[in-house]
This record gives sequence, C-alpha cells and structure tokens, in this order.
Amino acid sequence: MSQVNLLSPPSHISPDTARKLSLKAPLILSHPPTSSLPWPLSLLFSRETPESWTIHENLFYSSLRTGDETSARQILERMEARFGDQNERIITLRGIYNESIAQSNADLERVFDGYEKILREDPTNMSVRKRRVAVLKALGRTQDAITAVTVLLQNSPTDVEAWAEASELYASQGAWGQAIYCAEEVLLVMPNAWSAHAHIATLHYLSTASNSPPSLPALALSLKHFCRSIELNDSYLRGYYGLKLITSKLISVLSDSASASNKRGNNQDDDEVPIPKIATVKKLEEIATSKLGEIVRNASSGKTGWTGYDQAELIAARELLDGGGKIER
Amino acid sequence: MAQPVVQTIHRDPALFWWILLPITVVMILTGILRHYAMTLLQTTPKKQDLPKIRQQRSLVRGVNLRTNANVLSPSSFQARKAYMVQAYQEGKFLADPESRGKPRPNPMSDPAAMEGMMGMMKGNMAMMVPQSLIMGWINAFFSGFVIMKLPFPLTPQFKSMLQSGVGTRDLDVRWVSSLSWYFLTLFGLQPVYNFILGSNNAANQVTQQMAMSNPGAGMMGPEQDPDKLFLNEAENLEVLDHQWILEGIEERLVAKFAA
Repeated sequence: MSQVNLLSPPSHISPDTARKLSLKAPLILSHPPTSSLPWPLSLLFSRETPESWTIHENLFYSSLRTGDETSARQILERMEARFGDQNERIITLRGIYNESIAQSNADLERVFDGYEKILREDPTNMSVRKRRVAVLKALGRTQDAITAVTVLLQNSPTDVEAWAEASELYASQGAWGQAIYCAEEVLLVMPNAWSAHAHIATLHYLSTASNSPPSLPALALSLKHFCRSIELNDSYLRGYYGLKLITSKLISVLSDSASASNKRGNNQDDDEVPIPKIATVKKLEEIATSKLGEIVRNASSGKTGWTGYDQAELIAARELLDGGGKIER
Repeated sequence: MAQPVVQTIHRDPALFWWILLPITVVMILTGILRHYAMTLLQTTPKKQDLPKIRQQRSLVRGVNLRTNANVLSPSSFQARKAYMVQAYQEGKFLADPESRGKPRPNPMSDPAAMEGMMGMMKGNMAMMVPQSLIMGWINAFFSGFVIMKLPFPLTPQFKSMLQSGVGTRDLDVRWVSSLSWYFLTLFGLQPVYNFILGSNNAANQVTQQMAMSNPGAGMMGPEQDPDKLFLNEAENLEVLDHQWILEGIEERLVAKFAA
C-alpha cells in the first residue's frame, strides 16, 4: 500500500491506518500554522498554506475515529479561530464532533435539534443536511432518514453521495426497486465507477434472494453489471466474487428452466433483458474462479503488485472458492 | 555608404538610479497594493437560495442522464426519460413557476446583477486611479528622459511605443523613454506578480481588461430563461438514441479473457 499521509488520505481508511494517522496529532498540534506575532509580523512569519488546513481537517476525522477527542477538540478550536464559527464547513465539523462525543440518544437528539435550527436559518447548507440524515440513521429512525435524504435529493439531485446513501437506506429496508433506482442515479453521474456497478449488481442479486424461483431478468442484470465492473477494473476482487456467485446460481437456474420446457423462455421474449446463454455463463464462471484463485494466491503470498486487497474480502473469496459457492449472503 | 552611424548618447548614470529604478519599484509596489485593495474590496459572492440551486442541479441531472444514458438498461432509461421530460415540460423544477413564459426583467433592475456590476466598477476604479496617478507623476517629473537602450534593434514601428514623450524624429528606435518604460512595466510585470503574490493574484491589469472587453460572457448564464433551457433539454432527451453499454457484455468479457 502506498504511504498514507494526511493531505490525501484514501477514501476508505482501515482502523489501522486511522490509528497511524491520528498518532501524528501531537506533532501537528504543537506547530500552529498561524503565527502568534502581532499583525504585520504575523503576515511575514506564518507558515500557513491551504494544505495545512486540509491536513488539520483530515487529522480531525482520524482522531475522532480513534477516540482521541481532546486532540479533535483542539483542532476544531484552532480551525474555528481561523475561519470563524459561522463558516459552513466549521459548522459541519462541530456537528460531527458533537455527534461523536454524544453519550446517549438524548445527546444525539440535542445535536439533531441543533441541525434543525441551523437549517431553518440557512436551508442551503447541504453538509448539515447530510449530517442530519446521519444522525437519524444513528438513532435508528431509518424511515425518517429516508425522508430526509429524499428531501435533500429533491433539492440537489446531482449529489452522488446522497444518492448512494439513499440506496443503502432503501436496501436496509428491503426496498430493492428504490435502492436500485438510487444506485442507477449514482451511475448516471459516475458512469465508470466499477464499485457503483458492483453495488447495483449486488442489489439486483439480493432482490432475487426473497422470491424462491429467482427472477431471471434480475439475475441477468446482476451478471451484466458485475461483468461491467470487471471490464472496467480487471483486478476487482469484489467483481469476481459476485461474478462467481451469480454464475453458479444462474447455471443451476438456467439448466432447470431449460430442462423444464421452453415456454418459460417464450414468456421472456417480450422482456427486454436478454437472458445469457448457458455456455457463456459457464465460461464466465471459469474466468471468475481462475481469477479469484489467482488473486487469493498472490495476495496471500504478499507478491508485489498484488497487495492492497482488503483482508476480509480475501478471506471471503477463499471461503467462496473452498465452499464451491454454497455461501449465501 | 558603409555602416550606418551608430548613435551614441552619453547618459548620466544617475538616470538609472533616479528614474529607471524608481519607476520599476513603484510599479511593482502599486501592483501589490492593488492586489490587496482588490481582495479587500471584493464582496463575498451571494449565496444562492434553495429553489435556484434546485433548478440548476435539476438541469444538470438531465444533462447527466443524456450523456451517461448508456449505463442504464432500456427500461429504466425509458422510465427516467418519461419522468424528466414531463417534469421539464411542466416546469416542475423552476425556481419561480409564476414568471414562466413572461419575458425576463431588465437586468438593470435585478439587484443581483447590479451587485456584479458594482464589483466590476470597483475593479475598474482600483485599476484606473493608480494608473492615472502614476502616469501623472511620471509626466510631471520624468518626461522627456531617454533612460535606456535596448540591446537589440527594432523596426521604426516601435518608435511611437518606445519613445512616447520624446519628440525627436531621428533617434534610433532602441532608445527608450521614461514614459514608455512605464507602459512596458505596466504590461510586462505579470510574471513578477505571479512570483510575489501567487498565480491567481488581482494585480493583473491585462486579464482584467480582457474580462472587461466582454462583460456579457460572465453574465449570460443567469441571463438565460431557465424555462427555455429546460424545454431544450427535454427535447434533447426525447431525440436521444439510447444504446445500452451492457448489451452483450458477457461475450465481450469472455472474448477479452480468451485473448
């Protein structure tokens, strides 16, 4: 894995990385970027750059993650002193801080009321709107969170983060249709995000889990999206995992329906999702199996160029290979 | 005739210390001062209100749908298209649905547009005032001095540019007068400002003059009727030829790995 720094941390930070990042807090806190000298001299002697504040913000997040609330408080105070407490981002950061020190649901409710008040004054503060959704989610009020995020999306329908969050929320409620719709909106903004393709594929797959003869079009769509995510990134472990899972399921379903009769196939002629041929599916399964094996083998032996995979995902992939696809998620 | 006679002018070395250098230093300092004055004069851009944000982003959503439609399956694309086209045609996302179909009000009466013009006025003032002051100063004290000689020859067309304020016809073009040195520094100091103040400084006259020469460009955006934009986008969506990128992806992938 490449060297982790505070200026551009990876989007997904493992607990270990977060701990390493937050260990830098004392050093950064002991060197304030703004100068303590009186006015004209302070202009000359400050070491302040835009980057120093990015570092502060990222350090703030990782100290909160590791429970280092005193450092977080100090960083927050420093940023408030620099940008004023009416700054939109500072308001959000303070909200995050208050959320993380909240001990009980009552505390969280209080934070929530604070957000309501901020939003009454300035309804355009999108990041506070997002925090509001997060608090509702933390309180376990998923329905309210869904309502809040839909209001946010009505006003800002190009917000990828919010669409993804809405998709997760709907999925947690088992509303697969809505979840898939939201995930497709994510794709419309970022058409080449392989993780978004894999997410849609997962949703399609999960939506088939409830009905006992799994619906073929949903499975076929899921297969297509997993294929696309692999086409975009041919070392994407999750994509291969899903591909293997889907293909093994599809093979059994397809051979069932083929042996049953052809009238099922006739019914689906008017459906526009083309059902893949069983030969293709079998080939895809072979590809997925061999690639999964390759990734697991190389990653666990720590070969160069094969690092960076999530440990949990590797273990899951190994189990899938060993169990021959009997794992149901 | 052999070589043309090379003109030599004996210049007092004090000219360098008392004219060339002061003009240059004053010009650099004025640029820095202008940068800070502009930073102080700048009004913070006014926040958009929620309906405006909604209107703008809804339009962007339609554009996104059009450009990235190929990731969607035909059925979900058709559903989205039907919804978006209908909403656009009904003007669902408009910031103020009442004024739909009415002609746009005069931009002069719109306070937001006025603010933009005020900002431009301020910029112009911060540029004009020091410029005329310095030019007056140079004219009063240093007019008529020939202060330097360029190390390379030039064509006579440059005479008016390099020797303004010196009324001699036969003087070689390579001699530069003080007023011309002022103009040269006025337009040529941009790299120096970039070095001192960072690249997006406000000390630059040239870019400001560029911005001034087409003031309409920055204001055309809000000037357009959003309803027209929406109807336009609805039409674009209607005629879009949808192709699904996932069509036949299984075979593509198999072929890719077989290769």
